[in-house]
Amino acid sequence: MIQAGLAAPRRAMRVTGLVLAAALLRALLLPAGDLLSTGVFGACLLAISWAERAAPTPPSPASGGGTLPAAMGKVASIVAGLMVGAILLAPVVGGRLSGRPLADFWTWAAIAAVIATLEETAIRGALYQRWSEEASPAVAIVAGAAVFALIHLPRYGLAAMPLDAAVGLALGGLRAVSGRVLPCAIAHSIADWGAWFWA
Amino acid sequence: MIGARRAGLTALALGLIAAALLHCGGAPPLFDGIIVPPEPYRWESPPANLKNGNKPPLSGETTLPVSNGQVPGGGVQTGDNQVIMFFGPGAFKAPPAAQSVKCTIEPDASPPPAPSGVDIRGNVYRVNCVAQPDTGAVTVTSTYHLTLRFPPGAFQEIQYKDGNSWRALTTLRAPGGDPYASVNAPGFGEYAATAPTGAPSGDSIFTVLGRYVEFYGILAFVILFGVIAIIQEIRRRRRRAPTPTLPRKRGRGNP
Repeated sequence: MIQAGLAAPRRAMRVTGLVLAAALLRALLLPAGDLLSTGVFGACLLAISWAERAAPTPPSPASGGGTLPAAMGKVASIVAGLMVGAILLAPVVGGRLSGRPLADFWTWAAIAAVIATLEETAIRGALYQRWSEEASPAVAIVAGAAVFALIHLPRYGLAAMPLDAAVGLALGGLRAVSGRVLPCAIAHSIADWGAWFWA
Repeated sequence: MIGARRAGLTALALGLIAAALLHCGGAPPLFDGIIVPPEPYRWESPPANLKNGNKPPLSGETTLPVSNGQVPGGGVQTGDNQVIMFFGPGAFKAPPAAQSVKCTIEPDASPPPAPSGVDIRGNVYRVNCVAQPDTGAVTVTSTYHLTLRFPPGAFQEIQYKDGNSWRALTTLRAPGGDPYASVNAPGFGEYAATAPTGAPSGDSIFTVLGRYVEFYGILAFVILFGVIAIIQEIRRRRRRAPTPTLPRKRGRGNP
């Protein structure tokens, strides 16, 4: 029990480090093109989620032991994800519509959704789970928001960090409320898709 | 669990409020780092094959206060982001009596003819600043930064017409294949992206192939990841599913 409790912080830190390292690797690979950098980033996130999912969850005082049960049903969590995504988009839908053709949207949207889902699986999935076990859900939410803001730093710069941190906070909150990653992935994808129409 | 819910609700509310305040009506940045393809170029006079669906280019303007003829630094861009200009403090000089300066960027509906041997690629933009009230001309005392988007196809450099003749400017293209180029603009007048007449469009077989390889390469990665994730999930669920208890024929067996 004591050994498991001591091992947990190392694991949370390790997941955090791995996600940040994946983002750093992506930033380093950006000059080589979006294909390589995005592909490697996605593969790293998938590998992190995969490895962490396969690893047994040690019991800890913070989590009460084991995997946390989902607090919302699947349908309710999907509705929550749609609502949060809509709220994230709300401030910009009144802006000027871009002229990007709808016909080209679908493939791009599919790629954006998968990358968003991989990010959510790694951050609101593996990373959240480990920090919840080590410390508390509140720490997990804050750690997730910080990592979320940091991994977008190379692409969008410092100016976007506060907004990314705020969105990360909201998605972390959604994860804690729903007990699922699915609504976070839905909300994240919807917020991303808005860029096609209003960016 | 109740603690997690309470923390979650607080974070959700705080995050959404902060995000709404930080958006401030601006464009939504992506939260996943995927590049959004630029929207189609807006032509003032589109080629025949692009007339359908073309949207007219937009203009941009800004008004800056003037103090003793000194114009502070600032910038202006067109509503469609096809032209962006930045200038430092003192780059422009206004008449002493001027109270403000209005800077505009407008697509030129009837542009001057291109110099011989050169094609104008895309729109010609007229950049100007005027004093308010109009007590004299605003002059450019040093260069200012001008970024111009060019349409798909051939591009070599940005040219500037100061009222008399066109002249080529040292042009810096944006990295990563972005269709933008920048110059240190020497004055007010007309600016246009240009290419030598008859220059190849730039879309060689390798360029086109590279574009498709990149796009469909990402798609292939995405599909591959998705398939792997689904397979792993199915395997995981199978492992977790309770194995039916078989009747024991002999011995005590394993628990």
